[in-house]
Amino acid sequence: MTDWILIVDDEAMIRENLRAYLEDEGWRVAAFESVAPALGWLRNGDPCRVCIMDMRLPDMDGNSAIRALHQTYPDLEFLIHTGSSSYSLPEDLRAMGLDDSRVYHKPLADMAPLAAAARRLAARGDLP
Amino acid sequence: MPAPSSSSTTPSSPIPSAPRWYGGWSRQFYWGLALAAVIGAAAVTALDPFSYHETLLDHWFGPVQQEMDGFEVMLRHAVWLLIPLGAVTVAALSWSWLLQRQVAQRTQQLQRELNERQQMEMALRESEARFRDVTEAASDWIWEMDENLRFTCLSERFYDLTGIPSQYVLGLTRWELAAMDSAADPEKWRRHREILENHLPFRDFVYQTRLSGSHNEGRYLKVSGKPIHDSQGRFLGYRGTGTDITEQIRAETALQESELRLRRIIDLVPHMIFAKDRHGRFLLANRATARALGATVDDLIQHSHSIVHNVAEETERMLADDREVIDSGTPKFIAEETFTDHAGQVRTLQTIKIPLTEPGLNETAVLGVAIDITEQKRAKEEVARMRLYLKNIIDSMPSVLIGVDPWGYITVLNQPAEQTGGMSWEAAQGRFFGDVFPQLEGQFEQVRQAIRLGRPIKTPRMTLDVQGELHYADVMVYPLMADNASGAVIRMDDVTARVRIESMMVQTEKMLSVGGLAAGMAHEINNPLGAILQGSQNILRRVAPDMPQNRAAADAIGIDLDRIHRYLEQRQILRFLEGIREAGTRAAKIVADMLSFSRRSESRFALVNLEEMLETVLRLAASDYDLKKKYDFKRIVIERDYDPALRLMHCDKTEIEQVILNLLKNAAQAMAEEGTPAPVITLRTRCEAEHALIEVVDNGPGMDEKTLKRIFEPFFTTKDVGAGTGLGLSVSYFIITEQHNGRLSVMSKPGQGARFSIRLPLSREALP
Repeated sequence: MTDWILIVDDEAMIRENLRAYLEDEGWRVAAFESVAPALGWLRNGDPCRVCIMDMRLPDMDGNSAIRALHQTYPDLEFLIHTGSSSYSLPEDLRAMGLDDSRVYHKPLADMAPLAAAARRLAARGDLP
Repeated sequence: MPAPSSSSTTPSSPIPSAPRWYGGWSRQFYWGLALAAVIGAAAVTALDPFSYHETLLDHWFGPVQQEMDGFEVMLRHAVWLLIPLGAVTVAALSWSWLLQRQVAQRTQQLQRELNERQQMEMALRESEARFRDVTEAASDWIWEMDENLRFTCLSERFYDLTGIPSQYVLGLTRWELAAMDSAADPEKWRRHREILENHLPFRDFVYQTRLSGSHNEGRYLKVSGKPIHDSQGRFLGYRGTGTDITEQIRAETALQESELRLRRIIDLVPHMIFAKDRHGRFLLANRATARALGATVDDLIQHSHSIVHNVAEETERMLADDREVIDSGTPKFIAEETFTDHAGQVRTLQTIKIPLTEPGLNETAVLGVAIDITEQKRAKEEVARMRLYLKNIIDSMPSVLIGVDPWGYITVLNQPAEQTGGMSWEAAQGRFFGDVFPQLEGQFEQVRQAIRLGRPIKTPRMTLDVQGELHYADVMVYPLMADNASGAVIRMDDVTARVRIESMMVQTEKMLSVGGLAAGMAHEINNPLGAILQGSQNILRRVAPDMPQNRAAADAIGIDLDRIHRYLEQRQILRFLEGIREAGTRAAKIVADMLSFSRRSESRFALVNLEEMLETVLRLAASDYDLKKKYDFKRIVIERDYDPALRLMHCDKTEIEQVILNLLKNAAQAMAEEGTPAPVITLRTRCEAEHALIEVVDNGPGMDEKTLKRIFEPFFTTKDVGAGTGLGLSVSYFIITEQHNGRLSVMSKPGQGARFSIRLPLSREALP
């Protein structure tokens, strides 16, 4: 079966390109431009294991979104896809198991590493 | 028998001239004697009743013969005559000798008596003369008083000496003569009257007369007197002598006044004036001396120096000086000596000590004058200190300072000027400044102008050639303002370092502004870039014939994917897409580079093994070949010249890797473009005193000066458009200088390769 992957990014073309690539890679992709609809989708949608999160979002910043989603969905794994070059992971996110390998800086000339990371995270979630 | 008949003729009266008398007497005597003998013989013969003499003659000569003539008879009688004559003669001679002796003795005695009398007379006459002389010559006169104590007699000398005619005095008592004096000192007069009334003798009574005689003032008289009594012991009055001591008293008074005046003068003098004998006893001291020793002048006199001045070391030294002066008999000048006064304050004295001989002193003393020069000395020291301080100020000044007169001759050099000119102040003094500082020769016009206009003239950023190196100097010429000193000072500051720092600052500012700009826009640019790059990737993926999803979609709409792909290739669409991708990547790189210019707050310094790091960079550079395809890194010979002493150093590893990689790539690119036949890159490390040196040296085309000047400027590139971002070296520069407090420099000449030198501080503390 194909896994769901959640994408939150306010840049439409980024969303669409990621969706296209990941769908080609066999994912079912749910993409939202902000956190609120994403939460709504998660609440009544299918179980989702991986989320690619942008940092600058219209309704809240990516770090807070990750905290919020993690609280409700502790199994959800995050990949950070940010346009900010000076982004560094806050300590509490590191405490949640995130590290610098989860951070991907825009522009991603090659989305293959991101897709591979998402696949690895989804597989890790399957194991236990 | 001879009779002593001649005794009647014995001379007895003394005759003044003994020899004369003696001669006369002798002649008469002998005549008398002869006559007496003849008469005596005749008388005896005539009166011989028994003719005794005939018997005697017969007895002696035999009886008278008949035949005897008259002559023989006469002879017989002559013998008879001669016998008494001889006897008388002998007696007379004996008597005469005896007499003569007595006379001589008497004469001697008389002579002696006579002499004595003469001497006595002479002595008496002399005594009389002396007395007369003394009375006449002595200053004394003789006076007499009657029993009522009134003057009755005054010798002539009184008038001679006092100028007071004696008739004014006769009949007066002494107190009447001295009315004023007796009023002035009644006690003295009361005692004197008592003595007189008791008829006692007195001596040396001094008083002043009211009479002035021919002189202007009353006279001072000194009198002595004895009472006179008659044989019954009745008091008759007084007799005595008097002398006029007015002159003496005046002289004494004058002397006293003179002494007082001198005393006042030496007491007024603020310097210490004193005289001491060889034992250190004060013979003289003025008030200043007494004050300094905390005593009164009277206390000091006859006291020893060592008693009144209880600082042993000073006392010893001063007394030794005294003795030296006394013994040598020459003055001694002591330019400076310390003296602790009674209050414990240490003063500095300048003293001169002079040997002093005075009639009253049997040995030489020392006269000293000590001037308190504490203040002067302090002032002098202050001046010296100030001079030193000012010298220190100008010497410590990092600027070159050259003082010149209006004609350009050197008056002052400070220490930096001495170093720069290679000549000491002393040696340079009086020389033309242009000769000592050829690089400043052109400033002479400014010197003249500054003095003329009375204001400083500046020449900023004057270029100097210092041993073949270009230096910058700010030169300021300012006129000396003091009224009596005309001239100017040339101040030169080597501002090379500042100029370099300034240009570096400009560079850094540029970079930081670029960094700030980049940080602000990075997000905005990165999103569209992401869309572009990701879009390109998706397009390329979705036209690829080998992807099952593509085939499925193509099949569903009934088109041949392979043919489409061929079309895309034929029309170079795929190539264009690749171009979009590359352009996007380059834009992303520019943004990333620009972001490097922003300062990092987070320290990412770590201890790094330099050799390992360099090897990593070499591997990265070699793999870069595939990406760019413009140069072949494997063709380049890499020479490693690592300093074994330099192994570990602190740095931000990824940043330094980036810098070195950038340098390697630039070198490779430059050599590839130029077609350098045997390209060699040397990687060299050296451990310097405070820095780790990393050099990247190539044998490529090198650079001209114009390029060198701008090489670290952002966006400056020599590469073809599209080949470089123009940020690489400026980023490297920023990383080394700003993020590591190091230095990045380059040396190159066209055709001679290039040498980039990175110097990073060795100590952790020197890092930011």
